[in-house]
Amino acid sequence: MIILQWYFSDRIVLWSSGAKIVTREQFPKLHDVVERIVARNNLPKPKIAVINTNMPNAFATGKGPKSSVVAVTTGILDLLDIEELEGVLAHELTHIRNRDVLVLTLASVFSTVAWYLMQFGFYGGMGYGYGGGSRDRNNGGGMILVIIGAMLTWIISFLIIRAISRYREFAADRGSAQLTGKPVKLANALMKISGTMKQVPTKDLRRVEGLNAFFIVPAVTGSTIGNLFSTHPPLEKRIQKLMEMEASMS
Amino acid sequence: MSFFRKFRKSINNNKPKTDSDAIFSLSSAYITLETKLGLKNTGRCAVSLKSVSGMHFSEMKNDIQRFLDASKAEFELSYNIVTDSYGYLWVILQGKSMEDILAQLIAVGDTIQDKGFSSHLLAAVFEFSDEGKNNNNKKHRKYLIYNYKYNKFYPFVPIGQEIRNTEEEMRIMAEIADEIPFERDMTLWYPLWDLPLEP
Repeated sequence: MIILQWYFSDRIVLWSSGAKIVTREQFPKLHDVVERIVARNNLPKPKIAVINTNMPNAFATGKGPKSSVVAVTTGILDLLDIEELEGVLAHELTHIRNRDVLVLTLASVFSTVAWYLMQFGFYGGMGYGYGGGSRDRNNGGGMILVIIGAMLTWIISFLIIRAISRYREFAADRGSAQLTGKPVKLANALMKISGTMKQVPTKDLRRVEGLNAFFIVPAVTGSTIGNLFSTHPPLEKRIQKLMEMEASMS
Repeated sequence: MSFFRKFRKSINNNKPKTDSDAIFSLSSAYITLETKLGLKNTGRCAVSLKSVSGMHFSEMKNDIQRFLDASKAEFELSYNIVTDSYGYLWVILQGKSMEDILAQLIAVGDTIQDKGFSSHLLAAVFEFSDEGKNNNNKKHRKYLIYNYKYNKFYPFVPIGQEIRNTEEEMRIMAEIADEIPFERDMTLWYPLWDLPLEP
């Protein structure tokens, strides 16, 4: 099951996202940008796919560096300038180079096994423990232990997968910075994609002060619990790390 | 673990960090800006506050003037007091050494607070410039804004009519965010357009 999932991962993802592989003739600029990065860094060139939606996004998928696909939405192509797009594509190419699909598939082995054990134990436990009479009582107790154990494994591996995933995102940001040498462009792209660009205010401080009681609202950013469950690190942290890299390069 | 970290942080934040401490931390950060980003301080800075009518306010204004007149010669300082279209009073200082103008600016801020107008204080602004020039042959101006309500600095790089250079602002953040009390929440980086600092 897991092997199948991994083997067909690229096709499943492409099919479910509606991504279409595009040729150089259809999207010459996009091919140019990718080729520039892979040529400079001696990476194999992935297939390129485009998804027709206004949502700005990009992803990479594939079993290994040689058979990978990088997909971008038409929304992101409209939103970003060439250098920002280069930063995003380099981020995705780093995912491919680091074999992140494989890493995450392997990481999910435990949770998948635990999940099936939990299911099996649950239904199995009902069948044997309560249906079979007193003779099976001990067996039922054992089953409950299995269920609890599997549940714990599942929860822990769930959290670990998310932690790994967040770590791989940081690694891909770092990789992108190394491939392009311009971390600030990726930071810009991230802000544009998330809409933060609009959040850096252009409204004058003196005008804001005029709105009474505005400053009573405390500036709370991010919650720790939410961070535990998310697959991507919070934007401020990513931007901060990128800008630290920018600072160390200059 | 992070709960305790937050707890400790909140204790530290409650320590009375004064405006003067925060502003004086610029006396080392401006060197970083110069060496890392080539930003020179122009020797100009300003403090602004909401002006009101009334005897106390004009008394305070006179006090500031008297104080600055007295220290003018000693610190090779010039100053200017203007009111902008928003009704904010600007005390603009120009001097030779960063340390001197910081000290003078802090003293002006203290006078304002002593007279009971601390809630009127809006911001202190510090002007920097690189060697580049824009289309109108005017020098690029970059600013650090100190918000008195939050006790924090943030960058402001205007490049046109209500357009700011966020990239450059982030670059400034990366260089000095650890040296001075810095506003990391970018949604609070409110600009101050058409600053009256240049004579």
